[in-house]
Parts: sequence; C-alpha cells; structure tokens
Amino acid sequence: MPAAPSAPVPAPSARPPRLPRRLRRPLLTALILGALIVVSAHLCQVRLDDLPGNLAKGFEVLRFFFPPDWSSLRELAGPALVTLLLAALATPLGVILSLFFGLAGARNLAPNWLRTISRTLIGVERALPEIIVLLLLVAALGVGPFPGVIALAIGSVGMLGKLFADAIEEVDPKVLESVACVGATRWQVIRHAVLPEVMPAFLANAIFRFEVNIRASVLLGAVGAGGIGLELSKAMSLLEYERAMMAVLVTLLLVFGAERISDFLRAKVMDGGRLA
Amino acid sequence: MSSAVATAGLVAAPAYVPPSAQFRRRLLWLGGLVAFLVLGGIYLKFKPWMLFTDFHHLVRLGQEMIPPNVALLWNKPALFKTIGETVAMSFLGTLVGGAAAFALAFVASRNTTPHPVVRAITRLFFGLERATPNFVVLLILFIAFGYGPFAAMIALAIGSVGLFGKLFADAIEQVDPCPCESVASVGATRLQVIRYAIIPQVLPSVVANGFYAFDVNLRAAIALGVYGGGGIGFELQLAMKVLRYPDVLALILFIIVLITVMERVSDLIRRRMLSGSDSLR
Repeated sequence: MPAAPSAPVPAPSARPPRLPRRLRRPLLTALILGALIVVSAHLCQVRLDDLPGNLAKGFEVLRFFFPPDWSSLRELAGPALVTLLLAALATPLGVILSLFFGLAGARNLAPNWLRTISRTLIGVERALPEIIVLLLLVAALGVGPFPGVIALAIGSVGMLGKLFADAIEEVDPKVLESVACVGATRWQVIRHAVLPEVMPAFLANAIFRFEVNIRASVLLGAVGAGGIGLELSKAMSLLEYERAMMAVLVTLLLVFGAERISDFLRAKVMDGGRLA
Repeated sequence: MSSAVATAGLVAAPAYVPPSAQFRRRLLWLGGLVAFLVLGGIYLKFKPWMLFTDFHHLVRLGQEMIPPNVALLWNKPALFKTIGETVAMSFLGTLVGGAAAFALAFVASRNTTPHPVVRAITRLFFGLERATPNFVVLLILFIAFGYGPFAAMIALAIGSVGLFGKLFADAIEQVDPCPCESVASVGATRLQVIRYAIIPQVLPSVVANGFYAFDVNLRAAIALGVYGGGGIGFELQLAMKVLRYPDVLALILFIIVLITVMERVSDLIRRRMLSGSDSLR
C-alpha cells in the first residue's frame, strides 16, 4: 500500500489511512492487552512501589531457611511415605474409574445417552480442582488418608477418562467390525479389539498421572490429607523455617524420584508392550 | 482369567496347558503391584469400606448443600470482584511468568545459549522449579508480601517459569536450523538471528503453550486462594469454615462455569491468533 504523501502542513481531512494495515492488528492487540494488564493489576492489588522493599524482605526471609534442619529428616520420612502412598493408592483407583468412564464415553461403544452423561461428568470433574473435592470430603468424613485418596482418584478421572475415551474413539472401525462380524459380543469386542489397541497408551498416561498425583498429594496434604504437605505447613506456621526447608527438600526428592520412576515405567510400557 | 478362557475354548485340550511366559510375567507385575498397594493401604490405615459405613455423612453433606444459594450472584456484588481477582491472578501470573520463561528459554536451549554451563544451570533451575509445589512458594511469599492476590500472582508467575521455560526451550531446540544459517550468512548478529529466524518459528508454539499455561494457572489460582491467596478459592474456604454449605455449593458451581467458560474463550482466542499468525510476526 502506498504511503500517504506527507504534506508540510498536515490537513486533518487528508489522512484517512492513518495507520498502515500491517500495523493495525498488532496495535489493537497491544491496546487490548495493555487494558487487560491494567485492570488485572488493579484487581490483584499490585503495588509496584512496594515491590523492591518486599523483594528485599523476601530474600531476608529466605536466609532463615538455611541451613536446613537435617536432624528432622528421620521424622519426615514417615510423612513422605504417606504422601507417596496416597498417590500410589489413588492412581489405580482412578485408573479403574477412568476405565468405566472412558468406555461409557466413547462414541463407538456406548449409546448416545450414556456417552453424554459420561462426557459431562468428566468435563465437570476436569473443571473442579482436586482441592475442592478434598475440602468437601473432609467436611463430610473428617481428615485422614481416605478423603485424600478418594479426592486424588476422582481428580484422575477428569484427565485419564477423557484421554481414554478419545483414544477409543480413534480406534480403526474396521478392526471393531471385523471382530464383531465373526460373532463377538460387545464385551468380547472391547476385550479383544479395543483394549489391546488403546492399553499401552492408556497405561503410559496412567503412569504420568501418578507423577501428577504425587505433586497434588503434597498440595492436598496441607488441607487435611496428611503427609509431607501437612508437615510443611505445620512447620511454616510454627515458624520452624529450617524444618520447613528440610520438608521442601524431601518434597523435591519425592517429586524427582517419582519423575524418574514414571519415565522408567513409561519407557517399559511403550517399548513393545513388555509390561502391557 | 485369560488362561481360563483359553482352556475352555479348546475342545480336545491337553491335560495341562502351561500359561505363556508373557502371561506369567504380567501376573507377576500385577501381583507385586497388588501386594504393594495392600501393604501401603494397611500402613496408611486406609479403610475403603468407609465409603459404605460413612456414606450417611456424605448424604447429609449433600442435603445441607442443596439447594445451592445461587442468589449470591445478585445479593453479593463483591463476588464478581473475587472472581475477577482469580482471573486477574492467573492472567498476570501467566504473562509475567511466560515473559520470564521466554527470555530464559534462549539461555537454556542448546542452539542459542551463550555457554553450555549456563544452559545446564538454567535447565537445573527449571527442573527444581517444576518440582517445587507452588504453594510452598506461596507460603514463603506470604511472609514477604502479606496475604492476598499479589502474593498468589507472584507464586503463579514463579511456578510458570519452570514449566514453560522447559517447553519453550525444547521448542527452540527443535527449530529448523536452515533459516538461522541463511540469516547468519548474510551477516546477522546473534540477536538478529534470534529475532528473524528463531522467534518466527517458535511463536506459534509459545502462544499455544501460553494459553495452556493460563488454563493451568486458573485452576492453580483457585487452589492457592484456598491457602489465603484471595479470589474465589478463598471465598469458598471462608464459606466452608462458617459452615454455609448452600453458599459452598453455589461457589463450586460458579467455579465450574468459570473454568469451562475461560477454557472456551482461551481456545477461541488461541485459534484466532494462530490462524492469523502472520501478523503476529
């Protein structure tokens, strides 16, 4: 597009294409983004003038966390095991639940009404953070491992159920037909055509979910599931920062360990299905 | 189970069919897993039958929550502010964290890093950062910034750096080297190569990941709110503490609607941005 001729004295009416078209969209984006930033900064009560002082305070505070209290390592081993076991128990439960929801949510296996119900429940679950499920369960059943495990298991269904249902819907219809046309019942189709096809990927996802559940179980620990999360928030509120630092280190160890284990198992599952 | 099927299917079966090696291996894995879970359950004092013995508690909670007090929506205008707070937290957290991650990603990827040691250190930092639950960061920030959405927003920003730094860095390492070489061969400096050859290639994935980050952070913002970060999560926890269960259910419904709607909106914007990504460059 030719640029508007620049007159020495710009006449207000003689410049309709003020902005080159190329620039209009980025400018509009920047404007909207800027407005959003200002509004959100106001809502978040961002105080930039306090920021340097507070950051300095933050670093000051960090000094209290060192050195970590190594002597508490022994006491923290039990809670760490609890966190690990919460995730370890919740993942298989979540897998079993997701199997049901996934089968019920696949277009090529379930009748339409069942699919709608299952997909809606999965969608609602995905929109519901685990911590809210846990708060409700704790309100009803009191604190303890049971609400924690159930909350994590329910939390797994949102992700695993959706992935499983999507994977089933992508199974080649020819495979299903060929098994069905030799007289297989619906369950035999599922057992011999659907499951072998989707199982390796599903197991890999389930193992990944175990990793996610470890993180989540640390988080949930602080509001009543027990474990290292509870120890951490207790230590913080008692101002035992060195002990809290030790709990953070144990958490890091747990998460890194879970990542390693999950990578190892996933590689095993995906490599020619020796486990699956 | 499958051996039973197999033996039942054979008419003139030999007296004993040993299970296949694969079947035995699977059985071993499964048995080990079950044994581990049972022992773990015993250690935890996990009582699965609680679901049945204590079911009446769940029913009572349900009865107390229904009907949800949806009237909050028009009786309590402050509610919109708390919802806005949650969205604002995740938006700013994603933006600030994403910008920091984007800058660090160039240091952390093999083809643009100033030095391999710097790259290793940055990668290690990303890994540590990803492993730290963001409520730990939040608890520390509360001491420095006080309770409220500002601390939660910074915690989200810090949390985003680890995850998205890694994703962005992986994207940068996977760019096609040809454009970089051709730009460099006409005399571009390192920064110019990044600007004209690498950024155009990674921008679509950065945008897509940014929107994904926003979805993740919105959920995290609700969870952080429960710990005192403000927003609708805090409101929910408050309603729970004073045992106003109809309010609790109403807030849960609002949260579900909020997350679903925001997911749709961010999906829509992302599609529009990526379809017109020419102008983004």
